[in-house]
Amino acid sequence: MINLSDIVVKFGDFEALHRINVHVKEGEFFTFLGPSGCGKTTTLRTITGFIEPASGTVFMQGKDITHVPIEKRNIGIVFQSYALFPTMTVRDNIAFGLKIKKMKKDEIDRKVNDIAFKVDLTEEQLAKAVSQLSGGQQQRVAIARALVTEPAIICMDEPLSNLDAKLRVNLRNELKKMQREFGITTIYVTHDQEEALTLSDRIAVFNKGYIEQIGTPNEVYNHSKTEFVANFIGDINRLKGDVMQQMRLPANQAHYIRLERIAVQTAEKESGKVAPADDQAAVFEGVIESQEYYGLFIKYTIQAAGQTLKVVEKNDGINIYEPGESVLLRINPADIMHYDVR
Amino acid sequence: MQTPTIGKQKYGLGKLWGIFGGVLFAYLFLGFMVIPCFNTLTSVFRETDAAGNPDPFAVIRFFFAGNMPLFLWNSIRLALCLVVTVNVVGISIVLLTEYFDIKGARILRLGYMTTLIYSGVALVTGYQFLYDPNGLMTKWMTEVMPGINRQWFTGFNAVLFTMTFACTSNHALFLRNAIRGIDYNTVEAARNLGAKPFKVLLKVVMPTLLPTLFSLTVMTFITGLCAMSAPTLLGYNSINPEIVRLAGSSVADEAFPQARAALLSVILAMCTITLLLVLNHYESKGHYLSVSKTKAKLVKQKIQNPVANVLAHIYAYVLFVIYMTPVVMIIVFSFQNWGNVRNKVLDFSSWTLSNYFGNQDYIYQNWKGKEMVSKGAISGVFGNEKTLGGIRLSFIMSAVAAALACVIVVIAVNYIFKHKKKKRGKLVEACLLFPWLLPTILICYSYRTFFNGNVFYVFGQNLYMKENVRILIVMAYMVVKLPFAVRMIKAAFYAIDEELEDAARNLGASQMTTFLKVKLPIVLPSVLAVFALNFNALFSEYDMGATFKKAEGTTYAMVIQSMCEDEGRNNVNMNASGRRCASTVFIMIISGLILYLVYGVGARDLGERLALRVKRRKRLEKIRGKLGLVHAAAEEAAVPDDGGNA
Repeated sequence: MINLSDIVVKFGDFEALHRINVHVKEGEFFTFLGPSGCGKTTTLRTITGFIEPASGTVFMQGKDITHVPIEKRNIGIVFQSYALFPTMTVRDNIAFGLKIKKMKKDEIDRKVNDIAFKVDLTEEQLAKAVSQLSGGQQQRVAIARALVTEPAIICMDEPLSNLDAKLRVNLRNELKKMQREFGITTIYVTHDQEEALTLSDRIAVFNKGYIEQIGTPNEVYNHSKTEFVANFIGDINRLKGDVMQQMRLPANQAHYIRLERIAVQTAEKESGKVAPADDQAAVFEGVIESQEYYGLFIKYTIQAAGQTLKVVEKNDGINIYEPGESVLLRINPADIMHYDVR
Repeated sequence: MQTPTIGKQKYGLGKLWGIFGGVLFAYLFLGFMVIPCFNTLTSVFRETDAAGNPDPFAVIRFFFAGNMPLFLWNSIRLALCLVVTVNVVGISIVLLTEYFDIKGARILRLGYMTTLIYSGVALVTGYQFLYDPNGLMTKWMTEVMPGINRQWFTGFNAVLFTMTFACTSNHALFLRNAIRGIDYNTVEAARNLGAKPFKVLLKVVMPTLLPTLFSLTVMTFITGLCAMSAPTLLGYNSINPEIVRLAGSSVADEAFPQARAALLSVILAMCTITLLLVLNHYESKGHYLSVSKTKAKLVKQKIQNPVANVLAHIYAYVLFVIYMTPVVMIIVFSFQNWGNVRNKVLDFSSWTLSNYFGNQDYIYQNWKGKEMVSKGAISGVFGNEKTLGGIRLSFIMSAVAAALACVIVVIAVNYIFKHKKKKRGKLVEACLLFPWLLPTILICYSYRTFFNGNVFYVFGQNLYMKENVRILIVMAYMVVKLPFAVRMIKAAFYAIDEELEDAARNLGASQMTTFLKVKLPIVLPSVLAVFALNFNALFSEYDMGATFKKAEGTTYAMVIQSMCEDEGRNNVNMNASGRRCASTVFIMIISGLILYLVYGVGARDLGERLALRVKRRKRLEKIRGKLGLVHAAAEEAAVPDDGGNA
């Protein structure tokens, strides 16, 4: 569907993207994930045509669109700020692209009504100014405006970043549902790991203008290819000193384990997730240093084997450890991710 | 094959328009800003001695030998005193209405803000009317305090008094905004740490206002230095009236008057540029910005000490009386007959609209005792041809100049915005801000002298001759208003979310469509506000019209100023003072209306407008429903009860 081949983008002397290669499949929800300034938005703007690459080719449905003007690419965009025209009503906002295409009024009305119905906007809301709508409704208008021109793909640049936490989660689900219903290829930009993991079919993790890994959420999370990906997606512990020695981990590599992969137990309370003791698992004594209560789970900071480890335990309301309490930590070597030190 | 450039649409016609625009802009900038002003500057050094040999420093020598430094000193003296008095009154009115809990603050604020609609020549003549030796207020004051000098309202005193109250408009707008921007939590924190209310005001509140106060001080100083209408009308020998006098003088009367006028204009320009550079340097250091993310709204402070509280209330209401008296009196006198107005006495039994509408004959007896009639000697603002002519001319010239300034600035700012990181964008902006560095009088004087001859680049015309002067006035109006328009409209353009332009382009809109359908509607309220405010200022503008001093360019303010000159002479123009009062009321209404449209109606966004429309529709339906019910009830009552027959 979309193929980026050896894309290089430069801003003056600064090279923002270094030979990027991405292939987005038809109907896929594909996410560009990474910290600020990593090049994810630059890549998106290269696809949409706002940035011309210094070298490389952008293919869409097999055709080279590298030098095709923005308005001729047939790509819908949902902007971070939604970019809804404040001086127009919701209806006029959605109809803008159709009017530019000089469609007949009846046709415009029909298309606007259809898309409004699909994204759950009422007739009354269509007559309102965008400033009279809530954040969620504005997002739907932005999606409707992007979809009404029937683009081949839709690009979304952090469309949830301006919303509060609860609304984000709700809209995230709606977004996924809508994408499934429309079956449209979607490229989504975010710096939020949780958002990327919950929404995407596949994720490209960006760092300093390079793509570190492309894979499904499970691949990226559980089989992070690089140290950066492992660190960027979710919380992680780097294993040091005694743990490394006891588990005979090679010193020329960096070793990481995710928080939920460390099992905690005491003589009295045994963590449910602790696997039956086997020869491979290593057990360490530790003392709870502090406790962060999140409701669904509890995050512990534990001093063990001469280092600080963070551990997440499901909150079952029974096995709750207090600061100062002695515990046993069990680490399975299979859960450890190893990376060559760069 | 040429590779298409993404995002840039190349239109042959567009490029042609671009070249045409660039040439036109360069023509206007060079032809109406640089060349005339440069001509003024060089004219200082173009004088000759008695033998006809060039003597470049003759004017400068004359400057130091004659009384010219006196005019400069008078202007500086006025500016210095104004800085003190305007700041004292300006800070007082803002603190009294926004910071301290003073009873009736809303009414007080309205009174203090009357200078927004009552200013310029209208205000000066109004003050003169009330405070001159025969003025109503002076009469009252001498009755209360017999020892007072009836001539107190002349020269420096009168100018200082009038301008002190006239120049607080900027404090009322900008200092008020600054004080409203203070994070109340900082006040609470200071109190919590043990600071007393006065200490909080001095150490926490005032420092945050300092940058605004500094800007206001510089602006006040420049206003004082360049004062025109008040010194001219109230008789004070400052620079500007002298420049106008010299510009109209001839070499037969005195030594190189034009060159002296030019020198004074250049001195004024140098002072202005220096002050603005100081201001710019200070502003570039940055402001005290609130670092709070959750700013708390300022809560008014109660003055705990009862004596101080009473004194503050007295002070607030005395200021209110000073601000309101001229306004009220001018309104009241505009409805009094000509006799009362001329004698400056109030007669609550005789009210008239003759100062506003129509013509009346004046019947009198001549020295032989014969009854004579002076046709149309009593005429209203809208019945007097001269006044109407002034209104018409000012209206057209102000509207054209304000519209031109807006159109030029909108197009230029769109260009600046597109090329904001390039030198050409910055150059265009600098050109538009250039008139800010020059005093208005320098621009007008330069036009008056430079275009008073056949200038090749204006098709060989003499633009100072006859009706042509109106073109010059419009150009001067426009040029003078460009910097304000740039600052305001640029701010509006920069407030546009850049993603909106991207969105429009993504949806297929051309650059022109994006500008016309997306960007322009967003900045339109600001553009209209700038148009309205510029129009407002120009409609009653006096300084520039007086500098041109041409019969064909007699503006409304000049008519107001000259209205009383022949009052009653030869039994004509009997109610000139009354008409002047009515003219002032008319200006106040126009200004008030414009401010309401700009800050009331114009400030509403589409959402608010639609909500209002829905509200209106509902109200209408409700009324219709009620009427329908009444109608139905009436119909029901009208139907004959034939039940019995059935």
